Amino acid sequence: MSIQLDSITAGYDRFRLQNVTAQIPTGSLTALIGPNGCGKSTLLKTISRQLAPGKGRVHVDNEDISTLRTRAVAQRVSVLPQHPVVPPGITVERLVGYGRAPHQNLFGYQSRDDQQAVELALEMVSLTAMKSEAVSSLSGGQRQRAFLAMCIAQDTPFILLDEPTSFLDIRYQFEVLELMSTLQKAGKTVVAVLHDIAQAARFATHIVVMKDGRIEASGPPDQVVTPDLVKRVYGVQAHVYADPVSGTKVVSPEEKGMQDHPALASIN
Amino acid sequence: MMTRTLVSLFGLSLAISITLYWSLTAGAVDIPLQTVLNTLFDLDGEQQQFIVNRSRLPRSLIAIVTGGALALSGVIIQALLRNPLASPKIVGINSGAALAVLLATLLLPSLPPVWLPLIAGVGGVIAAGIVYLLAELRSVSAARLALVGIAVGMTADAGVDFLLVTADSYAVSAPLVWLTGSLWGRGWSHLATVWPQLVVLMLACLAMAHRLDLIRLGDTQAMGLGMNIRVERFALLGLATFLASISVSAVGVLGFVGLMAPHIARKLVGGRHVVVLPVAMLTGALLVLLADAAGRSLMPPIEVSAGILSAMFGAPFFIFLLLTTRAERTQ
Repeated sequence: MSIQLDSITAGYDRFRLQNVTAQIPTGSLTALIGPNGCGKSTLLKTISRQLAPGKGRVHVDNEDISTLRTRAVAQRVSVLPQHPVVPPGITVERLVGYGRAPHQNLFGYQSRDDQQAVELALEMVSLTAMKSEAVSSLSGGQRQRAFLAMCIAQDTPFILLDEPTSFLDIRYQFEVLELMSTLQKAGKTVVAVLHDIAQAARFATHIVVMKDGRIEASGPPDQVVTPDLVKRVYGVQAHVYADPVSGTKVVSPEEKGMQDHPALASIN
Repeated sequence: MMTRTLVSLFGLSLAISITLYWSLTAGAVDIPLQTVLNTLFDLDGEQQQFIVNRSRLPRSLIAIVTGGALALSGVIIQALLRNPLASPKIVGINSGAALAVLLATLLLPSLPPVWLPLIAGVGGVIAAGIVYLLAELRSVSAARLALVGIAVGMTADAGVDFLLVTADSYAVSAPLVWLTGSLWGRGWSHLATVWPQLVVLMLACLAMAHRLDLIRLGDTQAMGLGMNIRVERFALLGLATFLASISVSAVGVLGFVGLMAPHIARKLVGGRHVVVLPVAMLTGALLVLLADAAGRSLMPPIEVSAGILSAMFGAPFFIFLLLTTRAERTQ
């Protein structure tokens, strides 16, 4: 019962993922971290079968996903893309209801179960009061929560989130992160691409670090996040210390000595 | 809101009925309602009978079906391309049909005009097929499909312009009227060749409402929700192509309806396709019927093409809607 990647090579024009083998434990909140362009999104797309790997196999719950129908994949894995399209003229409740599609017939008939799942999802993201508003009229944070509610309503054991906290202010970032924790504690396996290493260390139970299409490290945050790893993966010399609030790892880069940079000479 | 949908559907049906009455009475020969009714129920004299039964009734019915079909085609294309500026024209259907008809008229002058609708339909399908194949060569994305469609459309348009400029004016005068979108000279035989296909396609289209909703969320989301996006896109594009090509074959290039009717429908009832589709269908039917009736009665005996008038009516009404409605309506 996990997500298992076996020697995956995948990507678009040039292959982003190079022979990746990894395991995402069931019931974990896994953070995918790594520099821009290292293949994090490609990995998520491969797991959700948005992208067929050139080589290798992906197993979800011991089933090879290349043998499943799209609908069967959608009953196991839900996805929140990095830039979801906001459909015009659709209410929050309706949007969340689309999450029920893999459980419905071709005409989208809403059963009592569907309605309950939608209500529950709206409650979890605290959008019940706004359910009749147009999605396009929501703020960035509310919008992100509406799309998260759509994933929750899809009611899949695995939830994949591509940069769910980017472009949100600190309050909404923490709301989304706490929501991810809640889902994990409720028994879901959550995989999220995150950029903030401290947030990943604080909320994730498992971290996968990627660089240049390869898995550089993986394991519990306390063991994975070290000055050596930050140097190796991001090329940044940094201190790693315990967060005074949570006790988890925080990364603070050292000054690079910019005052000696040749470009500054012309400014001064 | 349910009530809003019902009011819109009822209002549009009423407007279509009133316009249909006007359409039967209006034209180069005024025929009062009493006579129209007598004629419909087989009670009156010969000239009226000929005009109402043989000309105005069939062409009004053609206006209703093709208007509805073009509108539905527009809804599908706009949802597929996720672009409010898209219309059946954007996948090259209109230009392909126009080029095929002109070529046929010029190369085969002896060809009987009854063949023109079929040739137009084939031209539209071929153009859309080329667009789809070229876009499919690498993975189809909405933006690619639109760009390839515009490019293929422009190529066909250039061919049309070239033929119009080089051919002698007498040979192209008949196709020219058709190119602007006119119902002149359409009768029962034309109706008979298009209505069964259009009605079947339109019913299929109404059944696609939920899938159009999902596809509107973008490829990633639609796939994530269990849609086989390649198959669905191909099916929807095929549906839109045939709806538009068959309509264009009957009434000529009525490009504006496919762009305008979906917008008017969304302004009236919001974004859910289960309500947008029927409302857009009635809107399209009303636009073409109105344009055809007005075209006959504005300055008889000269007829103004429905294509010209549907733009003249539709555009100001659309601007009025844009200015007077809230930014967006939801259901």
